[in-house]
Amino acid sequence: MEKIKLNETPVRTSRNFNMNNIKLENIKIPKVIKTFDNISINNETSKIQIEKTSNNNYDLTYGLGNIFTNQVKNNSNQSLKVQVDSKTNKELQIDFKFDSNNSNLVDSIIINANESSKGTIIIKYLSDENKEYYHNGIIKLFAKKNSNINVIVVNLLNSNSNNFVSIDNELCENANVNYTIIDFGGKNSISNYYSNLKGEHSSNSLNSIYLGKENQLFDLNYIAELRGIKTNIDIEVQGALTDKAIKHFKGTIDFKKGAKKAKGNENESCMLLSDNAKSLALPMLLCSEEDVEGNHSSSSGKTGEKELFYIMSRGFDIKEAMKLMVRAKFNKILENIKNEDLKNQIINEIDKKLD
Amino acid sequence: MNSNLLEINDLYVKAEEKEILKGMNLKINKGEIHVIMGPNGSGKSTTANAILNNPSYIKTNGTITFDGENITNSKTDEIARKGIFMSFQLPEEIPGVSVTNFLKYAKNKVTGKPVKIFEFKNELKKYMQELNINPSYMERSLNVGFSGGEKKKNEILQLLVLNPKLAILDETDSGLDVDAIKTVSKGIEMFKNKKNAVLIITHNTKILSNLKPDYVHILVDGKIVKTGTYELAKEIEENGYSKYRIEKK
Amino acid sequence: MAKTKIEDINRNIYDIKNEDEYEFKIEKGLTPDIIKEISKQKNEPDWMRDFRLKALEIYNKLELPTWGPDISELNMNDIATYVKPKSKLNSSWDDVPEDIKNTFDKLGIPEAEKESLAGVGAQYDSEVVYHSMKEELIKQGVIYTDMETAVKKYPGIVKEHFMKCVPIYDHKFVALHGAVWSGGSFVYVPEGVKVDIPLQSYFRLNSPEAGQFEHTLIIVNEGASLHFIEGCSAPKYNKVNLHAGCVELYVKDNAHLRYSTIENWSKNMLNLNTKKALVGKNASMEWVSGSFGSKVSMLYPMSILNGEGAKTEFTGISFAGKGQNLDNGFKVVHNAPNTSSVVNSKSISKDGGKCTYRALTRINKQAKKSKGMVSCESLMLDDISISDTIPVNDVRTETAEFSHEAKIGKISDKAIFYLMSRGMSEEDAKAMIVRGFAYPISKELPVEYAVEMNNLINLELEGAIG
Repeated sequence: MEKIKLNETPVRTSRNFNMNNIKLENIKIPKVIKTFDNISINNETSKIQIEKTSNNNYDLTYGLGNIFTNQVKNNSNQSLKVQVDSKTNKELQIDFKFDSNNSNLVDSIIINANESSKGTIIIKYLSDENKEYYHNGIIKLFAKKNSNINVIVVNLLNSNSNNFVSIDNELCENANVNYTIIDFGGKNSISNYYSNLKGEHSSNSLNSIYLGKENQLFDLNYIAELRGIKTNIDIEVQGALTDKAIKHFKGTIDFKKGAKKAKGNENESCMLLSDNAKSLALPMLLCSEEDVEGNHSSSSGKTGEKELFYIMSRGFDIKEAMKLMVRAKFNKILENIKNEDLKNQIINEIDKKLD
Repeated sequence: MNSNLLEINDLYVKAEEKEILKGMNLKINKGEIHVIMGPNGSGKSTTANAILNNPSYIKTNGTITFDGENITNSKTDEIARKGIFMSFQLPEEIPGVSVTNFLKYAKNKVTGKPVKIFEFKNELKKYMQELNINPSYMERSLNVGFSGGEKKKNEILQLLVLNPKLAILDETDSGLDVDAIKTVSKGIEMFKNKKNAVLIITHNTKILSNLKPDYVHILVDGKIVKTGTYELAKEIEENGYSKYRIEKK
Repeated sequence: MAKTKIEDINRNIYDIKNEDEYEFKIEKGLTPDIIKEISKQKNEPDWMRDFRLKALEIYNKLELPTWGPDISELNMNDIATYVKPKSKLNSSWDDVPEDIKNTFDKLGIPEAEKESLAGVGAQYDSEVVYHSMKEELIKQGVIYTDMETAVKKYPGIVKEHFMKCVPIYDHKFVALHGAVWSGGSFVYVPEGVKVDIPLQSYFRLNSPEAGQFEHTLIIVNEGASLHFIEGCSAPKYNKVNLHAGCVELYVKDNAHLRYSTIENWSKNMLNLNTKKALVGKNASMEWVSGSFGSKVSMLYPMSILNGEGAKTEFTGISFAGKGQNLDNGFKVVHNAPNTSSVVNSKSISKDGGKCTYRALTRINKQAKKSKGMVSCESLMLDDISISDTIPVNDVRTETAEFSHEAKIGKISDKAIFYLMSRGMSEEDAKAMIVRGFAYPISKELPVEYAVEMNNLINLELEGAIG
């Protein structure tokens, strides 16, 4: 089977560094998409409406690549539109559950957040253990003036599956968008995240955790373009890799001309729990404006030996001690999740994966 | 001979679009030590920044006269060269510029004369000794990695080297331990003479006990609400500002 | 507040153009016949001629990079790859032709040689016109000569090392270099010999529409040490000039090499240079690099840490003004346990100039307990300039420690106010902050050795006081 190239970075660097895109082999992209009906929706208020739509007519600035974008636009088996009019922070939860009758999901989710609206949208992808499933989805968010939206995307697919996600956000004046991405599942989990901070004073935080084991591959390509004055982006990525897991993180903060007094911060850190794991990072700062502040930092390496020793001296075995340290590291991001059930589900998954 | 050094007249100042000073008046003569006290947000630091014409602070009304000249809209460096020095509450860190080179350059700018290296270094050494500053600081980057106390002492060192006509000390004593406060007030005493003046901005009285101020002004909500002597400062220390807040209403 | 005005680098000295006089200038373009002619002019052994022809073949097969600055204006058919100056190699400045000697005089090279260097090489267009080294180093067995002489006099050592560290198929411009290389320096420091005073080679390209392709090969043997300085400049012409040099450094076990570069090519130069060091056990390799000139620069020195405990440090600054696109950085590969790398890079962009920091840190699986630390800082002096940071960090062992930090921004208004409150004008304040920003790098550059550094960002505070 031929290799497919996807998830290109906004700016190329030397080909020898192997970071401009990701090449995948043996990916079966289903030609015929059967129905996917195992969805449950839990809604706290009628002010956040969800309906089926046949209109997938939007543009993605990046996306994973034409094959994946076009499949969603032309061939989706679930197209949803979420309209947020709530003035208080209410929750909408959408669960997609993969099983042998629902094995391919190509979903398109449009979120329209009205002026001054508030809301939290939780989107979960779950699966049973055995089979290889396929997910390719797009989340397109329009955040109008003064809106305040939280989106939580949780990938708990099994590690035989393939997970492809593109997220594309447009932020108007004063909009505030917080994303939390929990990326645990998939043999390959490839994600593209793009935010266009065009409205002045708009602000976006993106908090993400990944946890890889066995032969899992994560390719995270996060891009934020700051266009409006006093816009703000905060990217925080925490991860841990064990066994032969591999992670590619590409984070780009792009200060466009006119983004006066904009601020961008990016922090990426990876714990390596095995000597066969690989962590690659390309934290980019692109800048065409003078009056901005941009920072990024990235680190990777061993879990602290001293901390580990301390925890073990209190009677924990090494596995438990590792779990504790990973949880401690992820905790800052998990705190963003107010839904306790969801938080517990994620913590259980961390424990299970590190067993 | 006119003994008047600084006169602030009906000054209104905005910072970040908020009006902070609302009709401030102040007169300082040569040979005097003045103190401005006041609760947080009353406009103490704004006064100092307005005198130096920090571009982040916008004057909407009033005048500032120094040594007979209107300096309301003069540039910061011109004001500094006329003889006003401000000790910063949070001195900036300037990487790659050593304390010695910085001071040599500043001294040259302020005096308009060439600096004689040998004399200058001796003078610097002498002051550093008096202020208990480790001589190794001469070659370190200005304020970079200095502790809070070291930064403040360095401000006093600059005061002594540049020897202005008016020294404004913006919260120079804040965050310092007893020994450091002693060192700072010793530095101010060394500076002080009949021809110059000192304006101390503070919210505690520890530093005042050694310095014997001539006037104490209470600044509340952008205006001086009371002027008195050292006794007034002691009263504030005991009773706080609440009395003056209520009076205002 | 008014926009920052930081003076352009004073280029008067560099822009002195001599008549384009030469003994031989090869016709423009690249063909096997041209390559054979260069080889014949140099009276080379057959193996070198064959090597050149093979490199040309590879050059024709390789693609231009698909990333980085646009270099499409480069047309090899317009470039004369070999310009032989009207001078032979001399060991006394008195024998160097007057106008060429004058150029180097104005650049301060003979002066620096007297005062602070252990040896000097000077290349003018394609050939080295002067080479000399102190007597005591010759006695200790140190070799410092031009590359052509080395090919003839030390064929064994050259054959063993020439384009082995940087293989010709690395990228297109390395292959080009392999085909048309000319001039450059060869340094061999025997085991245990410490060369305390630096050697300096200076490269001057005078001829318009020409290329310079010097080859520098340095071998620092076990336990030896060396500081080597490389300077480059050219007067400005309207047409494109090309520099595609190659630097190969062998730092053997327990050896130490410091390689300093001050690059101040004219702003019509495409600087596509390749530099690489192989670093042995407990050896250390330090790079110091100041990049000020060129229209386009693509320069990423590389350290390969092959020996256990090997260390490398990179300290660099780029200063891009109007019309300049400086795409610089550093690459390091950790291949052995307990190796370490420290990178400290700064850039300043102004008047529409573009600086890019492009880099790679790779810590391979066998590099147990290795450490990598990268810090880059970029200063934007106006809102028409560009500054990008594109570093790849690749860690493949859990026992490694790696950290990376980058910052971008402008001169702080608060810092300007602070300095102005001490009597400095706004301009002075900004200049002082910029000089301070550059200081950690500029203090590493060999200021005392070449006049050019003094002109760079007008670094001297003393000068203002008089």
